[in-house]
Amino acid sequence: MSAAIRSEFRKFFTTRLWWGMAIAVFLSGAAFATIVGLIFTSNALAGQAAGALPRTDADLAKAVYTGGIQIGYLLTLAIGIMMIGSEYRHKTITSTFLATPRRGRVMGAKVVTLLGIGAFYGVISLVGSVLAGAIILTLRGHSAFGDASIWRTLALSLLVLGLWALIGLGAGILIPNQVAALLISIGVAWIVEPILAAVLAIPAWGEHITPYLPSQATSATLGTMSAGINGQPVGQLSWWAGALVLMAYAAVMAGLGTWRTVRADIS
Amino acid sequence: MTAVPERGPGRIEIRGLTKRFGSFTAVDQLDFTVQPGRITGFLGPNGSGKTTTLRMLLGLIRPTAGTATIDGRSYRDITEPLTVVGSALEATNFHPGRTARDHLRVLAAVAGVPDTRVDEMLELVGIPAAARKRAGGYSMGMRQRLGLAGALLGDPRVIILDEPANGLDPEGIRWLRGFLRHLAGEGRTLLISSHMLSEVEQTVDDVVIIANGRRVAEGTVAELHGEPTAYVRSSRLPALADALHRAGITSEPRDDGLTVRSGDLAHIGDIALAAGVPVHELRADQTHLEELFFNLTESDEHRNRNRSGHEAPPETLPPGELPPPSGAPVSTAAPSQEVDR
Repeated sequence: MSAAIRSEFRKFFTTRLWWGMAIAVFLSGAAFATIVGLIFTSNALAGQAAGALPRTDADLAKAVYTGGIQIGYLLTLAIGIMMIGSEYRHKTITSTFLATPRRGRVMGAKVVTLLGIGAFYGVISLVGSVLAGAIILTLRGHSAFGDASIWRTLALSLLVLGLWALIGLGAGILIPNQVAALLISIGVAWIVEPILAAVLAIPAWGEHITPYLPSQATSATLGTMSAGINGQPVGQLSWWAGALVLMAYAAVMAGLGTWRTVRADIS
Repeated sequence: MTAVPERGPGRIEIRGLTKRFGSFTAVDQLDFTVQPGRITGFLGPNGSGKTTTLRMLLGLIRPTAGTATIDGRSYRDITEPLTVVGSALEATNFHPGRTARDHLRVLAAVAGVPDTRVDEMLELVGIPAAARKRAGGYSMGMRQRLGLAGALLGDPRVIILDEPANGLDPEGIRWLRGFLRHLAGEGRTLLISSHMLSEVEQTVDDVVIIANGRRVAEGTVAELHGEPTAYVRSSRLPALADALHRAGITSEPRDDGLTVRSGDLAHIGDIALAAGVPVHELRADQTHLEELFFNLTESDEHRNRNRSGHEAPPETLPPGELPPPSGAPVSTAAPSQEVDR
């Protein structure tokens, strides 16, 4: 198993994808922290929409540091998809399974590797966002690291990025065409889920389902606020429940993907 | 873990192997054995089920029925397969953005061999200069060589190659022949598939021929050549046939002469002289394996299922006629119509 994991890491770091992604993750982390930081600390906004703004310095810091997390998890989602999608696309899956014919072991190695890669990009993203965000917060007279829960949020954002990579792994297997898998997954995360959330806001029972949607669970895990369509904060799970929900998504997707891979004929 | 030694002699056994894709039977009750330490050619036209068979042997495709084992074990049960069986299935299995060296390093991590072995292999197959170039820009010949390097990485006892000569230029094919001979000389077992018998005829010891997923011939190259025949023309054919018959040699009319069941031209000439029969032509028939291959795989019962059954393939030669002296039989030379699965 450790040999298969080493092989997966070598696969990932021997194409140009990894450093292109690293640059994208770093820049988006820094850019969104800057934008969110400037908006949330602007005096113009403070009077108008006070209800939707973070109330404490700790909440403010969390919102700023995780401002780019939505882009970040879409990128690790894409990495997860490509981890398996490019193997099918370039037919390298054949040599992968020839080297490790126990396919469950291959998938296990991919899961471990993706968690590591997710955390790796998480660190890069945080370096960007904390660097940029702390500068903005300090300049505007807010405390950059006022509360211990900030550190929990930062640590959990590494986990979140790893889990989204696993969701991508499953999607990459279940949707055989890599390009289609990328478009569909990102479309679901960015378009279908917000629409679903809006629709669910109408019936009374909808509010019991909304917190379990993947991006809502992500916000809950990170302890950041997510605004509903009317600008009012929606009900959220606690951070650990959010993390469990996200883990469940990751487990189901990666599990389905593994189940399918183990049975497929590779021709 | 297991008491069975990893390094057996390298015998491949295919028993009752069958694969159906829906209603299509790609491989049908296939049986054959690859003897250790020999080169076996696995031949058949495109779409006859060669690749499907090899992929079942290598655990990539699940057989509908039957078994395919290497030293009594299925591929999936071999603990460190790259050190026991090396294989190169297609020359397209490379990520275009990864260099040759990195492709091998990915495999080396699993095979448990050091990176120095990677460089040795690139040297061995003659592409050290391409080591740090991305595979996307490789020629077909370089891809074949890289595939071969990957197969040899774990120093395996058994080597399985699917169409290794595809895309090689004549010089590359000559190099490949010498290389495969060298590997067999080290006592390795080689199984090499090809849709062109002429590519492997001079290389292999044994031949397995399949058509439409069924075995149609198996044996050594010498066995398949069969008994030699000669062709003789004369102005008095009945008298000649009579004289041969009295000497215990059978013959039958062919064109405006006789096919004689003997390869001894001097003996035939002596019989004709003794009988006072003039001989206008006397020559040994070329027992062309290519012809045998062609007849076996293109006879009515084995006609390629991938083509229309209603009209005869337009370029099929009349039965009994020799195919072109070099290259593939015309009706099987259609690489763009690759339907192997």
